[in-house]
Amino acid sequence: MIAESGHYALVLALALALIQSTVPLVGARLRDPALMNVARSAAVGQLLFVLMSFAALVMLHIISDFSVANVFENSHSLKPLIYKITGVWGNHEGSMLLWVSILALFGGLVALFGQNLPLSLRAHVLSVQAWIASAFYLFILITSNPFTRIANPPIEGRDLNPVLQDIGLAVHPPMLYLGYVGFSISFSFAVAALIEGRIDPAWARWVRPWTLLAWTFLTLGIAMGSYWAYYELGWGGWWFWDPVENASLMPWLAGTALLHSALVMEKRNALKVWTILLSILTFSLSLLGTFLVRSGVLTSVHAFATDPTRGVFILVILCLFIGGSLTLFAGRASALKQGGIFAPISREGALVLNNLLLTTACATVFIGTLYPLALEVLTGAKISVGAPFFNLTFAPLFVPLLIAVPFGPMLAWKRGDLLGAAQRLLAAAGAGLAAIALVWAWTRGGAVLAPLAIGLAVFVIGGAVTDLVERIGLFSVPLATAARRARGLPRSVWGSAFAHAGLGIALIGIVCETTWNTEHIGTMKAGDSVNVAGYELKLEGLTPRPGPNYRELAASFSVSLDGEPLSVMTPSKRTFTTRGMSTTEAALLRRGVSQLYISLGDTTPDDAIVVRIYHKPMVLLIWFGPVLMAFGGLLSLSDRRLRVGAPRPAKALRAMQAAE
Amino acid sequence: MTLWLVFALMTAAAIFAVLLPLGLRGSPSSDGGEASVYGDQLAEIDRDVASGQIGKPEADAARVEIGRRLIAAANQEARLALTSNTTWRRAAAVLALVGLPVLTIAVYLPLGSPRLGDFPLAERSRAPDGTQPLEAMVAQVEQHLEKNPTDGRGWNVLAPVLVRLGRYDDAIMAYRNAISYAGDTAERHADLGEVMAAAAGGVITADAKSEFERAVALDANDAKASYFLGLAAEQDGRRADAVSIWQAMLDKAPQNAPWRAAVQAALTRVTGATAPVLSNDTMAAANGMAAGDREAMIRSMVERLATRLKQNGNDVEGWLRLVRAYMVMGDRDKARGAEASAREAVANDSERLKQLKEGLKNLGLDG
Amino acid sequence: MTRKQRRLTMIGGALAVLAVAAALVLNALRDSIVFFSTPTMVAEKHVGPGTRFRLGGLVQPGSLVRGDDLAVRFQVADGGAKLPVAYKGLLPDLFREGQGVVAEGALDGSGVFRADTVLAKHDETYMPKDVADALKKQGHWKDDYGAKAGADAKPSGGAVASQGAAPSAEGATR
Repeated sequence: MIAESGHYALVLALALALIQSTVPLVGARLRDPALMNVARSAAVGQLLFVLMSFAALVMLHIISDFSVANVFENSHSLKPLIYKITGVWGNHEGSMLLWVSILALFGGLVALFGQNLPLSLRAHVLSVQAWIASAFYLFILITSNPFTRIANPPIEGRDLNPVLQDIGLAVHPPMLYLGYVGFSISFSFAVAALIEGRIDPAWARWVRPWTLLAWTFLTLGIAMGSYWAYYELGWGGWWFWDPVENASLMPWLAGTALLHSALVMEKRNALKVWTILLSILTFSLSLLGTFLVRSGVLTSVHAFATDPTRGVFILVILCLFIGGSLTLFAGRASALKQGGIFAPISREGALVLNNLLLTTACATVFIGTLYPLALEVLTGAKISVGAPFFNLTFAPLFVPLLIAVPFGPMLAWKRGDLLGAAQRLLAAAGAGLAAIALVWAWTRGGAVLAPLAIGLAVFVIGGAVTDLVERIGLFSVPLATAARRARGLPRSVWGSAFAHAGLGIALIGIVCETTWNTEHIGTMKAGDSVNVAGYELKLEGLTPRPGPNYRELAASFSVSLDGEPLSVMTPSKRTFTTRGMSTTEAALLRRGVSQLYISLGDTTPDDAIVVRIYHKPMVLLIWFGPVLMAFGGLLSLSDRRLRVGAPRPAKALRAMQAAE
Repeated sequence: MTLWLVFALMTAAAIFAVLLPLGLRGSPSSDGGEASVYGDQLAEIDRDVASGQIGKPEADAARVEIGRRLIAAANQEARLALTSNTTWRRAAAVLALVGLPVLTIAVYLPLGSPRLGDFPLAERSRAPDGTQPLEAMVAQVEQHLEKNPTDGRGWNVLAPVLVRLGRYDDAIMAYRNAISYAGDTAERHADLGEVMAAAAGGVITADAKSEFERAVALDANDAKASYFLGLAAEQDGRRADAVSIWQAMLDKAPQNAPWRAAVQAALTRVTGATAPVLSNDTMAAANGMAAGDREAMIRSMVERLATRLKQNGNDVEGWLRLVRAYMVMGDRDKARGAEASAREAVANDSERLKQLKEGLKNLGLDG
Repeated sequence: MTRKQRRLTMIGGALAVLAVAAALVLNALRDSIVFFSTPTMVAEKHVGPGTRFRLGGLVQPGSLVRGDDLAVRFQVADGGAKLPVAYKGLLPDLFREGQGVVAEGALDGSGVFRADTVLAKHDETYMPKDVADALKKQGHWKDDYGAKAGADAKPSGGAVASQGAAPSAEGATR
């Protein structure tokens, strides 16, 4: 009953999506409000049915109904409840269902909170959204149906991959999906604008909050994914330039560019064509990511070729949507009127530079990710493009971007004064130079690039602070006035300052972690102690412990600094009986924003154990930066001027006047 | 049935979602629109001027620019007045009322399994015969044993459970493993022999017999092995041997031995006339047992008989005994079921069918 | 500056950035990509000592030897040939005999592959390409679990049904 209702709800969602993708279009052509409004109620209905379907799948996992193939393959009755739930999206079918749920969620949100949109634009946006949804419902129903049943239900499930039994998995994929599926709204807006054949600053105003929302989630999702890999994989790395990671980084880069170009479009009616193109590209990259991760093409090109149903289906969706929208773009873009002109040195110019660098960086990631695949398909040669490639291409492009970041907000619209901006940034630049000198002196003779990079990061942070200080006139007007101005400052200004500062903070973390990371790998016996970065770690002993569905061997380390005992760390190694697999649970000890990190290896025959101990200075800043960026995003989103569905101030003003 | 009702309700809700806006007469005015955005922008310029962020001339220039956009937007809206098109609305309504359910059913039916109910784990555990959680446990233990095949104790625990589940072949394997890893005991050999016999439908095979013999060799007082050796003798037609074995058992046994009644009954059966497995004597003998034991004994015997008949349905006598046993146990439904199975089993054999009908009539069931 | 000049400045800037990026990419592609080989390919192509490449295959069962101070030696096989690998460090969780592995490093003078990295991936299903193919051939890639539920099963028939499709606990790991 639960399974079949969920299945049926999914089919109903498909039917509604099909209606939503056609009827409102006809309505928009005829200018019939009732037909156009079908989009709204259908989108809400679609959302409800997909949620019902998703809830059904979650329920099936909770009650361990192994007559559902998906539950049987990915669950186990003895698994802790939380992992029964997270197991829902830990597998292909479930994660695709989550994918469409989020797609429908964004459609539903536009329907519910998009009252400020013109009727026909809303109808078009929701129609386009429904095209995407229909394609993916079909994909799920035909190739990846999570509700496939087994007539003779097995008595026990096959468990979830133990590596994936972690709380990080509970939040990180949904966040990522909220991010990159969220960009579907920008895409739908762009295609709707192309269909309507007109686009203006108001369009940018409407699309910006949605882009910002998606971007915020994506930022958080990527950060969480990275932190999850850091502590769960047990070897201290936090970014691997893995194709799966790149698949989420590319939409982020394009999305960041989109945020900035939409700003130009809203304020200055310029960069219209480019913004539309970016909207299309951003979501196309999301689709590409979905294709890469979900088609199995990364696992094996050959496996993909021999069992291509899923991959080919997504590939067709990919080609249809990217090709279709780009064709539409090619046909319509020239008809879009060019607006506002600006000098190269201006806020617009800075944002163009930002876009240029971000998209180029995105392109290098794209090449690095797809080149091996293309080469293998074409020539059969297998190559791997790893971190060195990206360090050599991505980093040089990001350096000028980071240098330019503080200048952007300092320049005026239309025509800026670079010299003036530079003068205002003197303090920030001074701070940066001081940081370089300080770090240089402190590390003396170490890496040359690291102090420079830290100086750059300090400059970025300083720039963000300077911007705020100048706007509220902190040191030029009385404190009370400054405080009042600070309150009066639009939240989006605060938001962008936080986001920019977050970038600098993350950079500090990245540089410190990669340059001054201390590592110790060796075998230890109970009673042995080792010194890592000034910390004394003593292995007190090894104790086996039973867990709910695993056995674990926990090691207890006492940590002391200068003879002063600090804490006890207990990393462990878990063995999962059902799958015969083991995972490493690293132990982390936070010291300020730095961390001690211990993970266990195998035991040796003479009762010793292999341990890996790292001291990672400033490592937490790597994730603190993105969190700050996301916070900035949310802050901007809460800006009254961008808030979706908020009562418009114009009306409020009129009401107030009437009351007087 | 409930499922289809739920489907119908869901479909109705979906149709409603499409019909709702179509039914609303009189369109709401085009809410929102560009004008309000530009209004906001103008207000923003005022704020910026007030806070001294932009100068007066820039503000004026910006106001002019926004004003121009405002006019353009107003023109646009005026050109695109809303209309109402009844024909298309009707078409959309038909699409929702007919197209939607038809499409949904057409997609769902080939994909779904509407006749398959739910199988939540909890419900299975609550199954009346209590075998379900056992199976889950067995799966666990089996997994454990696959990893640690030399865990004799594990095999020892698993084996009787497998017997209860009717997985005789696996149980035989388990007992063999238990014997090799946990040690050679009379009890285990006797149990192994019993399972072998059960697997053979109650027939004491040569293999089973040798197990019992081994058990007796290890412990001459092992009651189970002795009893089955007696049974083997009986099945071989050596009644005298059977009688002497069982008699010897009774002689040696303490008065309160729990199996005394069963052996007594067997002895009576062999010495007396051929009686059904569950003769009145057996029932009477069983009366002496503790209620739980008796129940278990009867059930196990009946079950064994049923299993044997499932494999070999030609035994009309056996069928009749089974039906009778069910009736004695007060389980009329099962009796009916056994009767039906019996008819099915001998349907092709007119001689046996006649025999069966006769027997059933005697039992008070219509032939 | 006229409108045209502005536009030219922009386009020029954009082209400059793209040219720099292209140069960076080409340079990086020349220097930092690593080819992937299997033991058979190594044997066929006579890869010289010192050339970095990625070696993929299955860890030959029984070949793992642990030495002092985290040194390990094992053999990587792909069905056709075997190649001895020496590595010093911690092996990833998913490393085990009979399983797929990817190691990065170079051959030394004596024909031993000196690995400096042995890779593990997030996901157990993300296997080295060749390994995946090999597994597929052996039919272990994805166990099928009985036909799709089309026939109606009696819900009460649990005891019989459960024997029909008892889960194989090892799945793809065997």
